[in-house]
Amino acid sequence: MARFLLRRLVTSVVVLAGLAVVTFLMTQVLPGDPARTAAGRNATAEQVARARTELGLDRPLWEQFTGYLDRLLHGDLGVSVFTQRPVLDDIAAMLPSSVELVLAAMAINVVVAVPLGVYAAYRRGGPSDVAARLVALLGAAVPVFWLGLMLQLVFAAQLRLLPLTGQLAFGQDVPRITGMTSLDALLGGNPAAFGDALLHLVLPALTLAASFVAVVARTVRSSMITTLDSDYITLARATGASELRVVVRHGLRNAMVPASTILGMQLGWMLGSTVLVESIFGRTGIGAHAVAAVLQNDLYTVIGTVLVIGVVFVVANIAVDLVQLWLNPRLRRTRRRTGEPAVPALAGVKP
Amino acid sequence: MSAGAKEHAGARRRVLPRVPVVERAAVTVAVAMVLLAAVGPLIAPHDPYAVDLSRSLLPPSGDHWFGTDVSGRDVLSRVLSGARITLPATMIVIVTAALIGTVVGTVAALGGKVVDEVLMRVTDIGLSLPSIILALGLAAALGSGLRSAVIALSLTWWPGYARLVRTLVRDVKDAEYVDAARMLGVSRTRLVLRHILPNALNTLYVQTTLDVAAVMLVISGLSFVGVGAQVPSPEWGAMIAAAAGDLTGGWWAVAFPGLAIMLTAISFNLLGDWLRVRNDPTIREGAGR
Amino acid sequence: MTDTPLLAVRDLRVSFPGPEGPVEVVHGVDLELARGAKVALVGESGSGKSVTARAVLRLDADATLTGRIELDGTDLLTLPPRRMREVRGSRAGLVFQDPLASLNPVMTIGWQITQPLVIRGVSKKVARRRGVELLSRLGVRDAGRRFDDYPHQFSGGMRQRVVIAIAIVAEPALLIADEPTTALDVRVQAQVLRLLHELADERDMAVLLITHDLGIVAGFAERVVVMRHGLAVESGPVEEIYAAPRHPYTRALLAAVPRIGGDLSRPLATVGPAVGTAEEEAVEPS
Repeated sequence: MARFLLRRLVTSVVVLAGLAVVTFLMTQVLPGDPARTAAGRNATAEQVARARTELGLDRPLWEQFTGYLDRLLHGDLGVSVFTQRPVLDDIAAMLPSSVELVLAAMAINVVVAVPLGVYAAYRRGGPSDVAARLVALLGAAVPVFWLGLMLQLVFAAQLRLLPLTGQLAFGQDVPRITGMTSLDALLGGNPAAFGDALLHLVLPALTLAASFVAVVARTVRSSMITTLDSDYITLARATGASELRVVVRHGLRNAMVPASTILGMQLGWMLGSTVLVESIFGRTGIGAHAVAAVLQNDLYTVIGTVLVIGVVFVVANIAVDLVQLWLNPRLRRTRRRTGEPAVPALAGVKP
Repeated sequence: MSAGAKEHAGARRRVLPRVPVVERAAVTVAVAMVLLAAVGPLIAPHDPYAVDLSRSLLPPSGDHWFGTDVSGRDVLSRVLSGARITLPATMIVIVTAALIGTVVGTVAALGGKVVDEVLMRVTDIGLSLPSIILALGLAAALGSGLRSAVIALSLTWWPGYARLVRTLVRDVKDAEYVDAARMLGVSRTRLVLRHILPNALNTLYVQTTLDVAAVMLVISGLSFVGVGAQVPSPEWGAMIAAAAGDLTGGWWAVAFPGLAIMLTAISFNLLGDWLRVRNDPTIREGAGR
Repeated sequence: MTDTPLLAVRDLRVSFPGPEGPVEVVHGVDLELARGAKVALVGESGSGKSVTARAVLRLDADATLTGRIELDGTDLLTLPPRRMREVRGSRAGLVFQDPLASLNPVMTIGWQITQPLVIRGVSKKVARRRGVELLSRLGVRDAGRRFDDYPHQFSGGMRQRVVIAIAIVAEPALLIADEPTTALDVRVQAQVLRLLHELADERDMAVLLITHDLGIVAGFAERVVVMRHGLAVESGPVEEIYAAPRHPYTRALLAAVPRIGGDLSRPLATVGPAVGTAEEEAVEPS
């Protein structure tokens, strides 16, 4: 087990290093001259040259890269051209709101997809199975941003059931503790604001979760089908256990092994999809922030966001591996007595 | 006659509730979309770019089946023309990514341990981010516009194919018929091109079909946020972006382009599923991937 | 000791849904087990022996069963699902062929052994105690500690003991063992069979041993039922069957068993199509 984790850590470090290289190369490709941008529009040639030296832009590429790496490790992601603040500060301010959204979407994802998949597997071939597969098909095909707009149209504009945009109703005030509006409302002792924040989360979270529910439900369904075919499930029935117990207590844990891998990866993908969802719903977050940055040519912010999400992804993957170890005891032993292989990890699955 | 209970259960489970009609419909729609990409603007009833503010935001009617958008342009015509932008862009991304991925994957599979490790780490980097984020980053460096989006997406998508092709080639290269060919004295390149690749690539075709929907969604997503195709373009994502501001006043300008995306995505997904089952008859219906 | 047998199967027919309509797999089998008896159900793959055994516990939800299956006088085929669940595990237990596949890989064996008791209201503590005792009796050393281990930490023979423990922990009167030794190596096979024999005697438990291996039947069973193509073609006390088989299929089966010290120059006998169809020639049970 230790060897397995170590290997994962090494791979993760390599990936992060690679990411640093890629992002560094992106800074080199930047159209325009950062020295000139730093010096200002009306700078003289000398001032530009001085700025170049200050920024270290006249040094050889390799040195620039090590400098870049050094700054990264110290948390210096550059300064945003737009806000004039350090990029990391901006991102740190925006991140909790996105995390809140992703967590809400994940909760919806699990609560909807797992029972759906289990039920579809149990009643395989029946009408609910077909319905579940239909939902999966639609979910994989729907454009997230379009769904958000349509949901807004129906539930907010027409039916007026839910708020249209924003994270809190006008006039509600909430202390800034974690940066997550709903949590802050709760911690600040304002249950009305908490409920309000949750209401504002519903549509964005639903939108974000929609396409992911499909994949999870399908995975759960397929692994549950395999599980339910197993001898040990038949034997569990043969000892007199009820159907519910057989499916949930005996079967679900097995079925969740591949599903948990997918769920973990989806955390990262959902964070990426905030790009498409946040601006529609008027939420602050790194997604909306990154989009604005791209449109404003604020390259350091964009690169900073890419790096931060990359780190989140890597951490999420490691967390997924830890969950796998917990769920599947066969993985815990590195030395296996008999010849069976441990469950192979999923190869990279494209979102 | 029979074997044990399990076999019977297996035979029964192969009876599909899914009717072949669905697959046929999917293929028809997919083909129609591709044709549309070719002839779309020609059959459009109105000029997709003609601005006429007096006809702004008209609901669907006999004259404008999909209504008009905020600038008075006929939505149907724009949707039809949009196919010509979205679909080819998607195909370019996939073909480019598949080419790069196949080369990288083949080299990794056949090139020895060191080459393999290095290339796999590189693909790991590509797979370590959601594609839209990486594409966003690259598009930021390359500038906005559909061309940048296509380049950026091609660069983010190839690692997935590289991984896939590497696995496929590794499986095939150890197969007996390859050994047989090699013993007959077939040259190495010929071996690769004529024996290994064609068998390995069967699965790749399935994956590329399934990816059409995913790539299309990202392209339209990039256009929606303003990084891909730019606003006057009838690209479906850009259309939705342009119309989003007047959602309540003219839902049709948002709804129909979105439906076009969905319809295309669904049909290609169904097509891909059908190809996958056809390709590998041992897949049990319901077992999934 | 009553006259009524523990298990009485009468004219059992089992059919499954097929691509072109229901397919009958078992065509009217009669079977009887006295309390505490050891009976072997013998046949090739596809003879329907496993299906018959599984039918007793009604384990195949898609199977259509007709006839009568009486366990201790109760007709199992007419029982509502809840009553049937009560029967499973506490009146009749089941052991399968592949011990690795029979055990839930993500749960401790202790949990799996105690479940049949826990669902019947036994407290976890008591269930654990009884489970450890049983495991010990079955020959697993250090049973208390190993109770919290996972299936992959055991060898094949040990795993099969765990499976047996799960099957009999709720003290059923009948144990159905479907090829319990086929996946084990020969030495372990003998151990497990001996164990089953002892358990049957200790607990006055009837055992229905299903197997294709005639070599192990003689040392274990008192009666033999031979099945072929979904029919019981012959049955009787084991000595009679082995000494004087009446049905040509039984004869062919016995002849096909290789013997140590047999003539190496002669080809092995097979059970060929020349033996004729089962329907015509089933022999009256003795």
